[in-house]
Amino acid sequence: MKPIPRRKFIRGTALAGGALLFLPGIQGCGFAGGCPSGNYFLEEFGIDDALISRLLSKALSRGGDFADLYFEYTVSNYLGLEDGKVNQSYGDISLGVGIRTVKGDQTGYGYTQELSEESMMSAAATAASLCDMTAAQAATSFSRPQTGSYYPVPDGFDGIPAQSKLPVLQQINEKCFSLSPEIVKVNAGFQSSIKRILIATSDGIMAEDIIPGGYLYSSVVAERNGRREQSFWNLGGRRDFSFYDNDVINEVASKSVNNALKLFDAIQPPAGEMPVVLGPGITGILLHEAIGHGMEADFNRKKTSTYSTMMGKKVAEPFVTIIDDGTNMNLAGSINVDDEGIPGKKTVLVENGILTSYIHDRISAKYYGVEPTGNGRRQDFMNYPIPRMRNTYMLGGDATPDDVIKAAGNGIYVEDVSNGQVKIGEGDFAFYVSQGRMIENGKLTSTIKDVNIMGNGPKMLANIVMAANDLEMSRGGAGQCGKNGQGAPVSFGLPTCLVKSLTVGGTEQKGGRS
Amino acid sequence: MTTLKNKQMSFPELADWVISRTLKAGAGDCKVSLSRRRSVEINYRDRKPEVIKEATTQGLYLEVFTNNRYAGQSTPDFRKSTLETFITDLVANAGIMEEDPFRTLPDPKYYEGRSDTDLQLSDPEYGKLTPEERHAMTKSVEEACLSKGGDKVISVEAGEYDESYEEYVKTSNGFEGSSKSTYCNVGASMTAQDKGDRKPAGYNSVGCRYKSDLPPMEDVGAEAARRTLDLMGGKKIATTKIPVILENRGAGRILNGLVNPMSAGNIQQKRSFLADKKGTAVGSSLLTVIDDPFIPRGLGSRYYDGDGFPARKRSLIADGILNEFLVDWYYSRKLGWEPTSGSLSNVIIPPGTRSLEEIIRDLKRCIVITDYIGGNSNTTTGDFSVGIIGKLYENGNFIQNVAEMNIADNHMNFWNRLVEVANDPYMYSQGRFPSLVIDDVVVAGI
Repeated sequence: MKPIPRRKFIRGTALAGGALLFLPGIQGCGFAGGCPSGNYFLEEFGIDDALISRLLSKALSRGGDFADLYFEYTVSNYLGLEDGKVNQSYGDISLGVGIRTVKGDQTGYGYTQELSEESMMSAAATAASLCDMTAAQAATSFSRPQTGSYYPVPDGFDGIPAQSKLPVLQQINEKCFSLSPEIVKVNAGFQSSIKRILIATSDGIMAEDIIPGGYLYSSVVAERNGRREQSFWNLGGRRDFSFYDNDVINEVASKSVNNALKLFDAIQPPAGEMPVVLGPGITGILLHEAIGHGMEADFNRKKTSTYSTMMGKKVAEPFVTIIDDGTNMNLAGSINVDDEGIPGKKTVLVENGILTSYIHDRISAKYYGVEPTGNGRRQDFMNYPIPRMRNTYMLGGDATPDDVIKAAGNGIYVEDVSNGQVKIGEGDFAFYVSQGRMIENGKLTSTIKDVNIMGNGPKMLANIVMAANDLEMSRGGAGQCGKNGQGAPVSFGLPTCLVKSLTVGGTEQKGGRS
Repeated sequence: MTTLKNKQMSFPELADWVISRTLKAGAGDCKVSLSRRRSVEINYRDRKPEVIKEATTQGLYLEVFTNNRYAGQSTPDFRKSTLETFITDLVANAGIMEEDPFRTLPDPKYYEGRSDTDLQLSDPEYGKLTPEERHAMTKSVEEACLSKGGDKVISVEAGEYDESYEEYVKTSNGFEGSSKSTYCNVGASMTAQDKGDRKPAGYNSVGCRYKSDLPPMEDVGAEAARRTLDLMGGKKIATTKIPVILENRGAGRILNGLVNPMSAGNIQQKRSFLADKKGTAVGSSLLTVIDDPFIPRGLGSRYYDGDGFPARKRSLIADGILNEFLVDWYYSRKLGWEPTSGSLSNVIIPPGTRSLEEIIRDLKRCIVITDYIGGNSNTTTGDFSVGIIGKLYENGNFIQNVAEMNIADNHMNFWNRLVEVANDPYMYSQGRFPSLVIDDVVVAGI
């Protein structure tokens, strides 16, 4: 057990990955809506309805409310460039089944990497060991839910081959060096994966999905007068190779280069409480940390979240509406179906300032007597599902971005953030600003960098006093949300908005800066 | 697991088979790492099991080196039939990569000199741990936490995790290594009711190679409750410049920002503010950092590193002077340096003489930092900024708990103000750090 009661978001340049490049053809979902069928696990591994039913029966052989199976086959591959050469290739294959037995809020879980009936029965027996009652009934026939298709891939899509990635990385490298003579090092990487899942539940749901994922990043070091600065940018999500065109390559390269160059003029902001304006897009990490985790229903069910007593109450100004959405096209947190067989949905968490819904998995939905919201997600077959965010964002307001900056008076403006963390019970959160600007007399002035900003979730939510009309979703693909040791890809978005007051962790006491 | 169906191949037999197939498929050199892990996890909440989880996993990681081209890949599937394709695909994959003359297996002369000391990494009693004992351990931790937490408890989760792990590594140029280890961890997290909607959560988690080295379960649970109760009423104070004490168990969170830039990868890639600091002071004379792989039962103890280099005790920073970088084989070649070792084993800061209490008593006003939130450290510039949670003392007297505050500094300044090292190294971690006293830190709050 790792009882670490905090959640972290790390926008890393994770180098996980590795890959079988040549797999047998698959029954892909077409572009047309819905992915109700697909028989990958039947065709490749002989997982038929009768076997599934036997495994579910075993999982419920000592009783329990329900049981489910989660088959996964993921192939991932990373190609990396350093010192002008695409010289690293790492691959990984993840294959197995996780079997869960649930009784109330208790979970028994076993998993195996070997898809033989003997091994799977043994994993089912482990899951069943949670209970000590008479056997419960498992379904013998299954229906497939109608789902959306939020990351369609061409028929026969089998992951992005390493050969295709190589020229992309070379282009990024050339582009970065061509943009400025001050660039001294370029690292670039192209991570991709293709995940195939099959979920079967004892109440008769069966769902299959094919999930593409990945990102392209560049990380550069610039040098000026003996000083060095670094910057990182990535784009990605649930996409096939067609996304990674010249525009994307240029954006990744120019963002990383330009951001690094801006840092030469950066200062450390003063420390202390002050108004903070969040620029649009990636700053949505603030919603994720300050609000999103606290609304995950497992924390509320256990009464450990600061939001556990706030359902139906006013938590923000009337113009604030916050949504957790699995249905955005191609974003990193989009899901056709969650890892418990519930179709992806759009869930309004805060509507016109009122807290309207938590983020549910099946256990918590049953506890609260509500419909599951399709947020039951897991890292892989070795982990059981828990409530997780998908793409979390706030709707835009009426103001222009300039109005918002002007209204702040004196404070700071956040452009890019690298990571964040929250303590669920207190609601205290932090996020790390890798780049921003000072706001002086309502105008953007000096660049700032490397500063942690802290606040309290519910207070911050109540203190969002203005929002602009420029909601932007982050198109990054490297973002991983960590919870209970499980990583999950997520995205977020935010319009430019003003928070009345947050604690800025600068190096000088307020007024100490000349 | 009965994965090797046709014939139960041992790890060495399987490794030999993979190496021979890989060379036959056209690789110039290769390295195969095999591992198997058996783990059990039990969590309790409200005096009943919330999670019972158990499994065995295995992995094969193969790296191929072909004409200065490189690729690596892992698979859980040990069947010979699928491994054949796996191997030929990987060799083909390496073939499309660009040439990198530095990407080779290490010169075998660097494999020599491995210690045969018994590091006691595997508990001989491990196999005797029964499900009943695991439940009993977890229940004891939970009860102790509930009892110490009293009427402040909203929720307590307690858990036990244990695993046995074995690995075997072999290269085509003469390296062979294997190790077996066990690990047993118990812990609890508690959420308490504070004023208003605040529900501070604290935890305590303790892990050892040998179960018999664990402290009494009652102490583990009670400590979780104590740490949670210590968070009650936490709030920020006015921004101030003040001595801070990095509590032993969390000191690594800040120290990592000084150690990561010591890696040859960061240095060669111009991402290290320490690149030109070898032989110079990076902290006060009280700062000594040792990498010691030979601590019996140590969580970071080992016989060889990721390159196959024999483990070696070394002083990274001695009396404030930066002594040695972390140089793996690949970057040693790129930099034209001698390799040292690119990774750390057990990291030690030798303890001082006075207790934390004595030190706090002598400081007029100080904050003991017990936990961190968010934050990051820039390897290129040395700038860092991180949220802190802790306790404010004046003249040895506890004044209040603090939360929602932040410290920011540059490592080149911060460690210069290390003014005392306490006598309390934390033993349940790969980083055995005592509490560290840093003077004149700006702690940002109101």
